[in-house]
Amino acid sequence: MFRKKQLIHFILAAVIFITADIWIYHTLTSSFDKYVQQRDFNEISLFVQTAPQKEENIPSWLNEVSSIIPGAASLYLSYDFDSGSFVPFASSDDNITLLYEQQRDSEEFKKAMESAYYLETEQISRQYTLTLNGQKVRTGVFVAPIIAENGYEATGTLIIAVPESTSSSYGRLIGTFALLSAIAFMLIAWVVSFSRDPVTGFMVLALFIIVGIFVAFPLIEALRLSFMTDGEFSFDKWALALSPSYIVALWGSLRLGVSTATASTIIGFLIAFLVERTSFKQKRTVSTLATMPVISPPFSLSLSIILLFGNNGLISKQLLNMGNTSIYGLGGLTLVQTISMFPIAFLTISGVLRQIDSTVEDASLDLNASRWQTFKSITFPLTVPGILSAWMLVFTNSLADFANPLLLSGNLRVLSTEAYMMVTGRMNDLGGGAVLSFLLLLPTVSAFLVQRFWVSKKSFVTVTGKPSTTLTELTTAPVRRILTAVAWIILGFILMLYLTIIAGAFVKNWGIDYTFTLANWKAIPDSWDSIVSTLLLALISAPVAGIIAMAAAMLIVRKKFPGKKFLEVLMMTPYAIPGTLIGIAYVIAFNKQPLILVGTGAIIVINYVIRELPVGLENGITALHQIDPSIEESAQDLGADVPTVFKTIVLPLVRPAFLSSMTYTFVRAMTAVSAIIFLISARWYHLTIKILSYSENLRFGLASVLCTVLIAIVLGVFALMNLLVKDDKLTRKTISTR
Amino acid sequence: MDKKSVSVTLENVTKRFKDVKGKSDVIAVKDARFIVEGGDLVTLLGPSGCGKTTTLRMVAGFELPTEGKIFIGDSDVTFLPPNKRDTATMFQSYGLFPHMSVFDNVAYGLKLRKVDSDEIKKRVQESLDLVGLSTYGDRAPGKLSGGQQQRVALARSLIVTPSVLLLDEPLSNLDALLREQMRVEIRRIQKSLSITAIYVTHDRVEAMSLSDRVIVMKDGEIRQMGAPDEIYEKPNSRFVAGFVGKAAFFPVTLKEKRDDKWICLFNKHELVVSRPPVEMKEGDKGVLMARPESLRLEEKGKGYIEGTVRMNVYLGNSLESFIQTPFGEVLVQIDDPHSKKVFAEGEAVSISFSVDRVRLLHPDEN
Repeated sequence: MFRKKQLIHFILAAVIFITADIWIYHTLTSSFDKYVQQRDFNEISLFVQTAPQKEENIPSWLNEVSSIIPGAASLYLSYDFDSGSFVPFASSDDNITLLYEQQRDSEEFKKAMESAYYLETEQISRQYTLTLNGQKVRTGVFVAPIIAENGYEATGTLIIAVPESTSSSYGRLIGTFALLSAIAFMLIAWVVSFSRDPVTGFMVLALFIIVGIFVAFPLIEALRLSFMTDGEFSFDKWALALSPSYIVALWGSLRLGVSTATASTIIGFLIAFLVERTSFKQKRTVSTLATMPVISPPFSLSLSIILLFGNNGLISKQLLNMGNTSIYGLGGLTLVQTISMFPIAFLTISGVLRQIDSTVEDASLDLNASRWQTFKSITFPLTVPGILSAWMLVFTNSLADFANPLLLSGNLRVLSTEAYMMVTGRMNDLGGGAVLSFLLLLPTVSAFLVQRFWVSKKSFVTVTGKPSTTLTELTTAPVRRILTAVAWIILGFILMLYLTIIAGAFVKNWGIDYTFTLANWKAIPDSWDSIVSTLLLALISAPVAGIIAMAAAMLIVRKKFPGKKFLEVLMMTPYAIPGTLIGIAYVIAFNKQPLILVGTGAIIVINYVIRELPVGLENGITALHQIDPSIEESAQDLGADVPTVFKTIVLPLVRPAFLSSMTYTFVRAMTAVSAIIFLISARWYHLTIKILSYSENLRFGLASVLCTVLIAIVLGVFALMNLLVKDDKLTRKTISTR
Repeated sequence: MDKKSVSVTLENVTKRFKDVKGKSDVIAVKDARFIVEGGDLVTLLGPSGCGKTTTLRMVAGFELPTEGKIFIGDSDVTFLPPNKRDTATMFQSYGLFPHMSVFDNVAYGLKLRKVDSDEIKKRVQESLDLVGLSTYGDRAPGKLSGGQQQRVALARSLIVTPSVLLLDEPLSNLDALLREQMRVEIRRIQKSLSITAIYVTHDRVEAMSLSDRVIVMKDGEIRQMGAPDEIYEKPNSRFVAGFVGKAAFFPVTLKEKRDDKWICLFNKHELVVSRPPVEMKEGDKGVLMARPESLRLEEKGKGYIEGTVRMNVYLGNSLESFIQTPFGEVLVQIDDPHSKKVFAEGEAVSISFSVDRVRLLHPDEN
C-alpha cells in the first residue's frame, strides 16, 4: 500500500518539522528563562541595596522579599570575622536555612559563595525542591553579597530561593502548543503523503477532530471529574450517588420511565392501528394531531396541565373543586410525559404496521380464521418488534426528560433534575452532577443497545417492493367505533391543552381572575433579546448540522478509510446520552484553557449541532443508500473533485434528507432545554428557560405568551419545509436508476 | 477532437480485497498485464466475478491496485484519482444525474473545465447530434427510454474528449434489438474518433463483433488474449473454447509426435492433428475441440463417431442437429440446410470432420 517514495517524503517532512519545532520551542523557553533570570537578578540586586545598616532590622527586611518576588524566601548570612566565613543570621523561612545547612558543602554552593565573596551575585547552577508556604516547589537559588558602604567589602550574603512556578507554567503552555502543532503537522503530512485523495482525508480528519473535541473529550472530562474530590482520585462522588438518598431518585426515574413507556405504547398502538389498519376516515387529521406534541416546546404541556389541574387549576378547582388531589408527582408527570411522548410510539408502530403486507391477513382469513384470531395470531405478533422498539424509545426519552419533571415532579425525585440541582444548587458540584447523569446513562444506554441490536434483528417485516394497495378490514364496525371514540377523546384532550395555553395568554390572572387582557403580550418586548438570540442560534445551527451530517453520510457510505466504524459510533453517541449529561460535560470541559467557550453563543451552536447530528446522519445514510453510486462516480470521472461531487451531485440528490435534518435541528434547537440550561449566559439566553422562570414565578400568563410564540415559529418552519420538499417528488422518484 | 490516440498499459496488476469478515484476502485480479494500443477497442470478456469490472475500475481510478502499475500513454497513473485521469467511463446503469436535464448532464464535464457558455452550447449540441438526440436537450433523463439514456451517457463521456473510453457492460440493460443497434453505433463512433477503448462484457457476441482484440478472463486471471478469430478458432484451453462459442469435446489419447503434429487415438481411429497450445507428451489424455459448424453428418459407419439424431432445430439459415453419441450429446450445425441431406429424428448417423478443423487441447476443464 505505502510506496517507498511516500514514506521517505513523509519521514523527511516530519524530521524537518520536528527539528524546527523543537528548535523554536527550545529558543522560546531558553530566552524566556534568560529573561526571567535577568529580571530576578535585577530585582535581587536592587533589593540587596536596600539592606538596613542595623542588624536588628534584618529579619523584618527579609520578610519583604516576598513582596518583591512573589513566593520567594531568603536567608541572611552575616560575615563572621572570627572564622572568616559566613554564618546564618536570620531567615524568612526555616526551610531555606535547612537547605543551606544541608547543601553548604556541595560544589555548587561553595562556588556561588566564593563569587559572593568577590562581590558578585550568582545563581546556583542547579535547582532545589523546597517546601515554601506549605507547598513543595522547585526553586532557583541566588546568592547575593551585601556590600558595605566602602564598596569593596561584603558585610553579609543573602540567599534567595525563587520558586519557578510562574515561568514553568508559561513553559508548559509553550510545550503544549509545540506538541499540538507537531501532532497537527504530522496528521496533515500523513494525509497529504499517503492519501490518494487528500480532500477526503482532510474531511475525515476534520470529522475526527470535531467529534474528538466535542463528543469524546467532554465525556472523558466528565468521567474524570466524577472520580476526583479536591483534586485527588476518589470514589466519594460515586459513593454519594449510590447512597440511599440518590438511589431513591434513580428509582423515581425508573418508575416514571416504565409507566410513561407503557402508557405511551398502548395509546401509540391504538392510534397507529386505527390509522394504518382500518378504514377509518380522518387519517391525515389524526396523524397530524398525533404528531403535534413531538414538536411542541418543553414546558408548554406541563404549563397547560398546571393551568387546568394545578392547585389553582381551571378544572381541578373552579369546575370540580377536587380539593387536595395534586397534579404534582408521579401521576401528573406520567400524564404529561405520555402526552408528549406517545407520538414517538405512534410513529414507530405505524411504520411497522404500514409495512405488513395485508395479503398475509387475507391468507389467514381465507383459512377460516376469525378477525380476532387473525389479529391475535398474525397482525399483532408481526408488530411486536415495533412495539418493543417503541417502548424502549419512550423509556429512554422519559428518563432523559428534564423539562417536565422540573415543573411537575413535586415530591417525586428523578435523576435528571437532581443532577441539575446538584450543579446549580448550593453544592455547585459539577462532578456530582456528572455522576448522577452517568447513573442515568446506564438504563438509557442499555435500552438503546437492546433496541438497536436485539429488537431490530427480530423484525419480521421485509420490504417486498410490491406495495399492497388493498387493505383488509380486521375490525367490526362497533369495535372500530369504540377505537375511534377513544382516539378522539385523547386527541381532543391534546387539542384542549394547546387551546389552554393560548387562552392563558389572554387571561389576567389564571385561577383567580379570568378577565380578558392583552397585558401578557408585553412578554414579547420584554423577552425580545432572548427571542432573537434563540432564533439566531437555531438558524445558524440548522445548516451547519445539515451540511456536516450529509458530508459525514457521504464519507461513511461511499469512502473507505481506517476507523470508519469508530467514527460512526462516536457520531451516534450523543443520541443515547441524556441532555443533562452533555450540558454538564460541556461546562466541565470548556470552562478552562485552552478552550474557554462557556458563555459564548458558539458553545450553544456546537451543542445543537453535535446533539442533532445523529438523526441527520441516519437520514443521510438512508438517502445515500438509495442512490446508485455510479452517479457520483460519473461526476468524479468527468473531472469533479470530492467537494464538487458533494456540492453538485450529492447535496441536490439528498435534498429531502438534507432539508428534513435541517428542520429537525432547527426545531430541536428552538425547543431545547436540558443541555442548554447549563450553557446559557446573560448574552445568549434561551426562550424555553425564560418560560421556565416565568412558570416558576407563577407568572403563567407571560409563560403562555412565550409558549404560543414558540409554537407559532416551529409550525411556521414546518409548513415552509413541507412546501420545499413537495417539489422534490420528481427527483425522488428518478433517483434510483438501477 | 483531433487528439492523438494513446495506449493503456497494465503491468503486473493485482487487486486483493478483504472478504466480508475482513479476515482473509480475496484475489479479484491476479497479475494482469496487457497493452491496449492507441485507437484500439479491447474487450474484457469473462463470466461474472472474473475480475473484468475490477480491472476496468482500476484503469478508471475507482479502485487502487494492490500491486503493479497502470500507464495511460507514457505516464504512470496508478495513484491518480479518477478526476485527474483522462478517462471517461460509461456505467452499466449509466449514472446519469437525475436532477439535471439532458443538456446539463452532457455539459457537466465542460462546466468543470471552465469552458465558456457559448462554446459549451455549441459542443453539447454537436455531441447530441452525434448520438442522434439533438432535440432532447431539456428533457429529464428519467423521461427517456433506456437506449436514449444510454446515448446521453455516451455523449456525456465523449464531450470531454477523453484519451481512453471505458465501457462497463453498457448494453446489458437494453433489449436485444436495441443492443445490436447500439453496438454498431458505439463501434462507429469509437472508430471515427479513433479513441482508445476498453469494453467489459460477458456477452461473447458483443465481444466478437466489437473488438480489435479480446481478453478472456477467469477467476481474476487472464486466460487468453488475441483477435476475435484467433480466440474463436485457436482457443488455448477448454474453458476459453467453451466460453467464446459452442464446442464439442472428444477424448483422445496422444500416441506419437511427428514433426509439428500429433498422432492421436480416437474411437479406434488414428488422427493427425496440430500440436496443442500446451506441452503434452506421449500417452497423455487430451481432448479434440470441434465447433458445430465444422462437424458433418454422414451415413451410418462413414464418420468417426456413431450416434442417433435426437432432435433437429430449424433456424432458417441453418439447422441444429442434436446427436446422441457415446461421448454425450453433440451439436452439429448444418448451414444452408436445403442444399444438404438432413437426417430425420431417430435416424442412426455418423459424425465426421476434417482434421485441420479440430484442435487438440488439454483435458482440464478449467
